[in-house]
Amino acid sequence: MNQDPKNDKPAETLADAELDALFAVARDEIAEPLPVAFHARLMADAEAMAAQHVANANPPGVFARLAAMLAEFGGIPGLASVSAAGVAGVWIGFSGPGVTGDLVAQFWQGAATVSPTVSTWVDDRLLTRSDDTLLALMAGEGE
Amino acid sequence: MTPADGQSDDMLLQRYAEGDSAAAQVLVSRLAPRVFRLAKRLLQDATEAEDVTQEAMLRLWQIAPNWEAGGAQPSTWLHRVAVNLATDRLRRRRGVGLDTIEEPDDPAPSAVETMMATDRQRALDDALALLPDRQRVAVVLRHIEGLTNPEIAATLGVGVEAVESLTARGKRKLADLLAGRREELGFDR
Repeated sequence: MNQDPKNDKPAETLADAELDALFAVARDEIAEPLPVAFHARLMADAEAMAAQHVANANPPGVFARLAAMLAEFGGIPGLASVSAAGVAGVWIGFSGPGVTGDLVAQFWQGAATVSPTVSTWVDDRLLTRSDDTLLALMAGEGE
Repeated sequence: MTPADGQSDDMLLQRYAEGDSAAAQVLVSRLAPRVFRLAKRLLQDATEAEDVTQEAMLRLWQIAPNWEAGGAQPSTWLHRVAVNLATDRLRRRRGVGLDTIEEPDDPAPSAVETMMATDRQRALDDALALLPDRQRVAVVLRHIEGLTNPEIAATLGVGVEAVESLTARGKRKLADLLAGRREELGFDR
């Protein structure tokens, strides 16, 4: 009870004890259950996060990582293509130059007729002169 | 009743971290309603209170694998997170710090007269809704959530003396607002 001492009427306010009683009710009150849709949203969050925790706790093994890496290159079909390219490379390496070698010879055929040839140089003794001759040639006194 | 129902929050959180969704179910049912009620009391907005509750619970799920059993209770930790999230929202809502908010005049008596709640809890919540934000937060945290004045001061970013003043003014206004409902509340004249 909260009395106004001047006119002996109840004061227009609650006493501290009364207010504390209200706070106690608020502290002890059981909260109402959440709406179903909201509860479901919270559970969806929980399950999504749990999946992350499980993934973090169990990192993928060697084969799983290899499979993931393989997937980056197109999976099994990609691996087949890479294998086929490798086998082809080995086969080319073991087989003779064949037609490809002839093509190279034809391409460099002109180089074989460049004049003067090395034998011409030797015959003309251009490569067998003494050092003095070479020095004279460099100084512009040669032939 | 599932086997998880009788376990401590600590244990449930550990089971959740190991992938037990039944543990999460129990934790949501046990903890989230109180967090939601607290957020709603502080924010006076059900939608924002849902957002705060969802964010607080999400942080609990995130920290679950690293939770140290035997320390703070998950419920206590969760309430602190919710209080921080709610007070952040109050600051953003006003665009200024809580400590710089101009407090409005006392609500008109008619607002109290029109309150239709008949039970004490509803009456208290109705009156709390009429308090200025800072006073409401201080009163709820001090007298309902049981935080100490220094803890409230840290949460609100004000001094301890300011918290004492806010709490005292808030209680005084609550008492005035509820005086007209003394009989309805079961208090003798």
